[in-house]
Amino acid sequence: MRVTLNATCITREKWSLSAHGRFTEGIHLVSGDIGSGKTTLALILAGLLQPSAGTVDREHVSSLMVSFQFPEYHVTGSTVMDECTSWGIDPSATVKAANLSGKEDLSPLRLSRGELKRLHLACVMARDYDLLVLDEPFSSLDCREKERYCADISRRTKGITVIFTHEQMIFPRVDFIWEISGGVLHCRGRVPEALAGWEHAPQLVKQLLARGKIPHNITPADLLEAACRT
Amino acid sequence: MISIRYLRHQVLDIGSLDILPGITSIIGPNGSGKTTLLKICAGITEPDAGTVLVDDLPPRKTEIGWVNEFPDRNILFDTVVDEIASPLRFQRIPCREISDRVDSHLEFMGIMPLRDRGMRELSGGEKILVALAASLIHHPQVLVLDEYDSHLDETRAMEIDHLVRKSGVPYVIRCTQQMESATRGDRLIWLENGRAGYNGSPREVFAALSGTPFYPLSLRCGI
Repeated sequence: MRVTLNATCITREKWSLSAHGRFTEGIHLVSGDIGSGKTTLALILAGLLQPSAGTVDREHVSSLMVSFQFPEYHVTGSTVMDECTSWGIDPSATVKAANLSGKEDLSPLRLSRGELKRLHLACVMARDYDLLVLDEPFSSLDCREKERYCADISRRTKGITVIFTHEQMIFPRVDFIWEISGGVLHCRGRVPEALAGWEHAPQLVKQLLARGKIPHNITPADLLEAACRT
Repeated sequence: MISIRYLRHQVLDIGSLDILPGITSIIGPNGSGKTTLLKICAGITEPDAGTVLVDDLPPRKTEIGWVNEFPDRNILFDTVVDEIASPLRFQRIPCREISDRVDSHLEFMGIMPLRDRGMRELSGGEKILVALAASLIHHPQVLVLDEYDSHLDETRAMEIDHLVRKSGVPYVIRCTQQMESATRGDRLIWLENGRAGYNGSPREVFAALSGTPFYPLSLRCGI
């Protein structure tokens, strides 16, 4: 199972993004500045946008899900229960997974932003997909929910998960680090070796590396372990 | 001072809360009432009961700047330049003055390259920058930022913190889920189940939150 970007390029007037590389099974984190093309790349990976040049090959990918950063655009149900049902999943289990018990009959658009994101992510995570593309999945979640959701993602042992995020502190276990820099997608490699070359690394990771403390991964527990290491 | 008295609205139940000039961050779990409180402070929502006064004036009689996490909901115009000019146009300021102010403001915000871009072409983070520029251009008394930083990288978030401080807005009230960002404000309010649990300096409030997921990871790591 893999997704290969073959000399993929997308161009808009003065802006362009070039991407060449292979996403294999595991959890991939893609970072980059505002406007660097993270969402554009997410659309290309998901097959929702045709690149201006090059090709995208999805081998042995039979199921795909993409989650965008603004969950209100995904809403189709008039209640929380209807919304879950519309995904073809067990609504009761999903409401419970989203910690929204007691709010089953509310309109999803009456939920707080974080609650709506939780509902959306619970729907996304209710099934296994060969390719799961998550664009800013942690925005709006409070710290407790970020940690819970990161633990869920970390448990994904099959398939390809690609996370595009600006998050700076709370991450799931990640296998590969990518970043968009200078209009080009770069693969920094496998974690933890990739951390040294990660330009967009969170300040905390950079500070740990500067002290010679290389975390095994970038979960809060890994960063804490590295910080406490003597 | 922004004084909040006997406020009751939806989940909110705040007896007395004072917000001093400077940058005040509001943090708390999802559904604790952060956005509701910000909307009331911005005058977008009238509370069911209680009062909010900004230097003795209700929010609706005060100049307010507002940026939320979903800038698409606030976009009125097609291009960046028109969007940023809109608060001045609504005030019927002469066109030449508007043009000059918009250009100098684009420079101040560091987003001149976006000037003639279409709003719908912008990334989520760029939209936030434009929304922030539009909210600051009319020199508000209160700037309300509702999780505006959730689509910003850390470097850009710190740059914006600097710009916001440099803008000289007397009151900045923001809610955030980035705890490291909250450490950079002047004051911090912890909201839980609609009540203001802690109110003080970031150091004081985070000390009270030690041992919870809301305690900044950098502090947990001793960095």
